Amino acid sequence: MSTAQSLHQSRKRKNAVMMTLCVTAAGIGLAWLALILGALLYKGLSGVSPAVFTEMTPPPGDAGGLLNAIYGSIVMTIIGIVVGTPIGVLAGTYMAEYGRFSRLTTVVRFINDILLSAPSIIIGLFVYELLVRPMGHFSAIAGAVALSILVIPVVVRTTEDMLNLVPNALREAGTAIGAPRWVVIRSVAYRAALSGIVTGILLAIARISGETAPLLFTALNNQFWSSNLNAPMASLPVTIFQFALSPYEEWQQLAWTGALIITLTVLGLSIIARSLTGRREDR
Amino acid sequence: MKPMLSTDLNAPETTVEKAKIEVKNLNFYYGQSKALKDINLSLPERSVTAFIGPSGCGKSTLLRVLNRIYELYPKQSAEGQVLLDGKNILDRSQDLNLLRTKIGMVFQKPTPFPMSIYENIAFGVRLYEKISKAEMDSRVEQALKRAALWNEVKDKLNASGLSLSGGQQQRLCIARTVAVKPEVILLDEPASALDPLSTAKIEELIDELQADYTIVIVTHNMQQAARVSRQTAFMYLGELVEFDRTEKIFTSPREKRTQDYITGRFG
Repeated sequence: MSTAQSLHQSRKRKNAVMMTLCVTAAGIGLAWLALILGALLYKGLSGVSPAVFTEMTPPPGDAGGLLNAIYGSIVMTIIGIVVGTPIGVLAGTYMAEYGRFSRLTTVVRFINDILLSAPSIIIGLFVYELLVRPMGHFSAIAGAVALSILVIPVVVRTTEDMLNLVPNALREAGTAIGAPRWVVIRSVAYRAALSGIVTGILLAIARISGETAPLLFTALNNQFWSSNLNAPMASLPVTIFQFALSPYEEWQQLAWTGALIITLTVLGLSIIARSLTGRREDR
Repeated sequence: MKPMLSTDLNAPETTVEKAKIEVKNLNFYYGQSKALKDINLSLPERSVTAFIGPSGCGKSTLLRVLNRIYELYPKQSAEGQVLLDGKNILDRSQDLNLLRTKIGMVFQKPTPFPMSIYENIAFGVRLYEKISKAEMDSRVEQALKRAALWNEVKDKLNASGLSLSGGQQQRLCIARTVAVKPEVILLDEPASALDPLSTAKIEELIDELQADYTIVIVTHNMQQAARVSRQTAFMYLGELVEFDRTEKIFTSPREKRTQDYITGRFG
């Protein structure tokens, strides 16, 4: 065998070994995901019935649903997003457009990155001190505030990143036609970055709809239907936490079903977010 | 340096021409570094002036002073005078947005806005005029016809501006600039990203537009400068080396540096 051939053979062998390692690693990663999804579908799907979406969380040993928990999750997520998104988008806009060359932007970006990776239980404790203690009781509004604090850093980051991807030439073109700066931002930069900014908001929704820790210290839980924002409110993650730890079979079943609902919602949002970003890259 | 235009006896028609823009003792800085050194020149109305020179000579910088687009960046500054119809546009009191409606600009890379072809043109018009839908329709049509793009896009005005080819996008940008009725059009290497056929179209367009607009074009391509412009400024290392009628620059330049550059000895 010539040298070239033997070198070629040894490269092929190395390639085969590395490929096997890579495929195995990918397989291990995906296997857990498949197992989790499989277990959720297997255990959760059997509990899905109209009652889950129409009845309240039951007392131990009784049949019931998750309506108040689903309602609470939706309400607090919506308030969290409605409060957090404008702050996040405006801050991101300042950083990418007006304060691009300023010191303040560097400082805010640094702090924002810390906030982005802060454990959510810390946020929960912070809001506990800020709202729950002075008010004297747990409340849905405190839960929503905790969630909005989680939303802000995600939205700031994606908004800034997406606006930074908008080529400067486009801003110059808008300016060169006589558009004031705010019109250039609103009509040109936002439009060019729109799908990315929306993706950030969807990811923020996905993130907070599964958060348990910040709600434990703020909205707590509620066995009954309550639409009072000034009172404790149930939510899916906290209900799952409580029911999964309980010894009652009905509760455990509802916890599986609730987990399935959250997972599918987050999965759906992620798919929408990915397809929006994908469309931008195609263009 | 005194511009030759007013003293050149071979071009009597240019001597009576009014200067649209006069640049006087202009210096420009990127932070601490000086990019333009004491520039003096005057651009006659309704004709094409080309800025040529090697990369980094300051020709684009000079162009970017004329509509003060450099102000987008905090570390860039200009001193001296740039007179538009006798009024100094570098003055603090100058409203930048109004200035830019008078002095339009087309960039090296086509920059259609992320909106429909129609909206790309209507956007600029709407900023300063309130006109009816019918008037806007005709305004858009005129602008597209002016940019020789109407026949190619008249059936898809609602398609995204980004769906056009590079050459079409650049003509869309010219249409957009023309639609706001400027007096001066600045072209920053408008054809350098385009194929020869699209380049020819753009050059043809420049030739037609000079009947109504004062045009300044920055170009790397000396043949292009020779083809489209009436007067040419040769710049080198931030200085204006020579400014004269185009045929003079390309046939018998006064300066040795100009001679060396146009004959391809450097640059």
